[in-house]
Amino acid sequence: MIDVESKINSFFIFNSTFGPKEGEELKRILFFHPSQISADARKIQVGLCEAVVKFMSTFSSEPCEALQTQTKRYIFYQPEKNYWMVLVVRIPYATKALSSIGEKKGDMVQPSIMQNLLVTAYKMFRMFVGLFTDVPADVIYTKCQQFFTPYILSRCITNDVINVIQGINYLPLEKNSFLKIVCFIDLLEINFQDFKCIGFIYNEQLIWNGLSTDDMLTLYQYLVQSLLPKQVEKEIQGGAVTAAQRHGRFITPCDGIHTDEDIDKIIKVYLKLEDDTETKQYYLIIYRTLSATICLTVYADKTLELETLKSLDAFIGPQLYSIASTISKQCTLHALQNAQLANTENKFLYFNRINLAFKSSVPINSLSPSAAIKPEVLNIIAGIHSDRKSLGNYGEIIIKTLDEYWITGKSSNEREFYVIIQKKNANVIEIAEEVKQVCEAQMKGIFFYPM
Amino acid sequence: MVKFSLEDSDPYYLTLSEQPKRFDADSPVTNVFFDDTNGQVFTVRSGGVTGVTVNSMDESKCTSFRMEDKGPIISIKLSLDQKVLAIQRNNEGQSATVEFVNFKDLSPTNVEYSHTCKWKNSKILGFVWPKANEIAFITDHGIELLQVLPEKKQLKTLKSVSFSGAWFSWCARSNIVVLAGNNGALLQPFYFNNSTIVKLQKLELESSRPVVERDVCMVLVADVTWCAVFRHALTTIAAPGPTEIWLMPLSGSGVNYTHVLKTGLMGRFALSVVDDLIAVHHQSSQTSQLFDIMEECKVENNSVTHLPLVPAHTMRPAVVDEQPCPIWSTDSGNWVMFQPDYVIDARRGCLWRLSLAPAALAHNIQKEEIGKIVSCLLRRRGGADVVHRLLAQLVASAHLYLLQLTDAFDQINSVYSNVITCSLCVRALACGGGAGGRLRALLRRGALSDSRPLACQLLSLARLHPAATQLALDMMYRLRAREEIVEVLLSCDEAVSAVGAARQLDPAAWLGLAPRKLLAAAHAHAAQRAQPHAFVAVYHALQARNDTTRGSPHFLKGEQCESYVEYYEKVTAER
Repeated sequence: MIDVESKINSFFIFNSTFGPKEGEELKRILFFHPSQISADARKIQVGLCEAVVKFMSTFSSEPCEALQTQTKRYIFYQPEKNYWMVLVVRIPYATKALSSIGEKKGDMVQPSIMQNLLVTAYKMFRMFVGLFTDVPADVIYTKCQQFFTPYILSRCITNDVINVIQGINYLPLEKNSFLKIVCFIDLLEINFQDFKCIGFIYNEQLIWNGLSTDDMLTLYQYLVQSLLPKQVEKEIQGGAVTAAQRHGRFITPCDGIHTDEDIDKIIKVYLKLEDDTETKQYYLIIYRTLSATICLTVYADKTLELETLKSLDAFIGPQLYSIASTISKQCTLHALQNAQLANTENKFLYFNRINLAFKSSVPINSLSPSAAIKPEVLNIIAGIHSDRKSLGNYGEIIIKTLDEYWITGKSSNEREFYVIIQKKNANVIEIAEEVKQVCEAQMKGIFFYPM
Repeated sequence: MVKFSLEDSDPYYLTLSEQPKRFDADSPVTNVFFDDTNGQVFTVRSGGVTGVTVNSMDESKCTSFRMEDKGPIISIKLSLDQKVLAIQRNNEGQSATVEFVNFKDLSPTNVEYSHTCKWKNSKILGFVWPKANEIAFITDHGIELLQVLPEKKQLKTLKSVSFSGAWFSWCARSNIVVLAGNNGALLQPFYFNNSTIVKLQKLELESSRPVVERDVCMVLVADVTWCAVFRHALTTIAAPGPTEIWLMPLSGSGVNYTHVLKTGLMGRFALSVVDDLIAVHHQSSQTSQLFDIMEECKVENNSVTHLPLVPAHTMRPAVVDEQPCPIWSTDSGNWVMFQPDYVIDARRGCLWRLSLAPAALAHNIQKEEIGKIVSCLLRRRGGADVVHRLLAQLVASAHLYLLQLTDAFDQINSVYSNVITCSLCVRALACGGGAGGRLRALLRRGALSDSRPLACQLLSLARLHPAATQLALDMMYRLRAREEIVEVLLSCDEAVSAVGAARQLDPAAWLGLAPRKLLAAAHAHAAQRAQPHAFVAVYHALQARNDTTRGSPHFLKGEQCESYVEYYEKVTAER
């Protein structure tokens, strides 16, 4: 059997309208990974996909989503008209003899996970670079190269909870501390009128969001999966934390903002603010003290002055330090509670589609992927999660696996709740009762549609 | 400087009672006495027969009577139970004697007697009634506490304490008397308790700056009795500084530091206590200052310094006989302040009580002072309503007063928890279009308390944002508003779940729910989606209900379900 775990076979983006004539096929390929693949091989792969997509369009107005061959699975995603993103993974296949012994298919990457990866990659691109259609044709190849190469290399597609249900981990906070943060944000926005706080994160948990939920997820993923781990590593390597670090600093650009040149290095992003109707371009300014990270935006057409940023630093630094200390105290308490959660026999997952809140009895942390949920079980959950229609606005499904796992999926009021119970010789009634108890114990104050 | 002014407020933070209690004005033939223990004004007309009129804010303590004129009166006071009248006269040779007249139904009986102090040649400085049947003679030799036995026409000495004093000050509310000794450099408090006299720790003042009688009074503020002393600057120096008021705690109160009130003024002063605030009246400027000794402050060198809470201002002008009555006008001398809040104009014959108008504290104040004022208002009896108005106004222009709002709520949080916030939030919710995200965040964090009005407001926003429905239903669930949940689910086109929720109601409520309503919702749902399953499920549930209540699955005629029965038959037949 071939080890394909978490390997991306290839990833490419094409637009057939870019080189419509014969001999211009390479122009159609905006990006191809891995880069060592020869031009001919690229043409063949892309050509196949072009053909499939085109062929399928005669049968359905919906764009083609996937293609599976004996050895490969192709997932297609058309984020903008004529722009196709394709992700290819190898399928573990074995000879008949082996499969008849009962070789599990559980390790196979879920199509929904692959789909998620494509969508996330696109959203990330859109956030940092913009729409494909807005990028001038002459620079789109280099833009894609610059953005997707490091992005794809940093991604791995594993059957992990965080890849199955893409949610945001919110930090539960006692209300006075939360109000303190809200006040701090208000003060900041009033004193620095051009600046808008779009996110407040403690460790990897979100406390405050000022973006539309979709964009928040993308920014959150960027912070938690890419920027912050690097930052934490730097802080750890740095040994003794310098006084400057303790009192906070700008972490983008990575060496901080000290000179006028640094201002030019500040990244620009396309985002839609919460309660706003359109996506606009902003400077993204990220500031960090202790474990608290705050994201600010300024309209990209404004001119940033070094003086303003310096006074911003002076303003945020001490306040954020005291807030971070307050939260830290509370987190110690939560850690204790979470330890108890993890000890509960039954595992559960919770997801709210409205604010993308995700909660789990299984520790979720990008640094330590959860191995606590068995792959088959996760596959079933992925199935329920992606097949939103079958449960409707509210509903419940109980699935039993061969090895005595009972998986209950509950959907209600835009929320999903999964409970995993391993129990021998149980019946559906017992399981339903147990799920009810877990639900009442863990989801206090949340209304599930009665049936 | 940004100023804040509470709407519909005026600057008069001190007002006199609307209607003064009128009495015969001071004149060559009348004398006016005031007893602050009972709050009674005694008007004594002399010449032949003495006519006495007693007036008080309390109608049950008003009376008038006649008595024989036995000489000029120095002091006249009724006992606490209004059953004995004590009179001290300025008669040569018997100055240590007090006369008594037994009273019945506020009229004198003919039972009269007198008692002479144990120190025969002492001078009675005055007397007080600490208890219904106890009287204390305060003399220059000491204090004698006596029990009055009206039936026996006798007085019995309970306790006496020797102290050489020149004058005294009495606080009826705490039963403490302070005697001034050593030419006003030593103040010795005594406490009447359980028919005995307790000597409290003495207060010593610099012998270079002794006090006189009019500079000392006793006040009860924040449940502590203080000896208030006006400390005027020495007149001997070239540039005398302003007067300070020292509030010295009397022992046993648990407080061991002095409050120093900085008036910044010089001249004649008087002092009142309203709603635990100290009002200092300054004669020449005709203004009053307010001091809040409960405000948060640092103790330094065993003393705490206070500045006026708000700038000095005149009292609301009183109107007497439809004429504005100037306060402490230049021809004054006729205005007298008594503890805690009595004001007497002897010439016009008016008795008022002072009261605080809390709204005026928020009139035209510095923006930065809002927090201080809120915290002060929270300690006032009529303050909550003003705080509520003030917050509503701050919220209305929150962009200007953000810091102050934080401060104000911090102050409130330290006192109450969450009483006022809810109604404010509902208002903010109703008008705040762009703040939806913030509101949702606050709700999810439980920063706003659950309440039915809030849940209903949320529901009305459901069309604008799907999260509102989710939050509203959660809130109703926490509030156990099960019947409302059924209604909401029905209006959300979720008939099956509505039936589910209805079954969780108490049995009577579920059985009493009109079937037509449920079927109508289910029918609408089915018609919209061309999917009869939900309708069939609801129909079956109701049939089962009919079966348990009436023994038959059919609907009653009065329930008007015929059209739905037809629809049911149609869809089931199709299957």
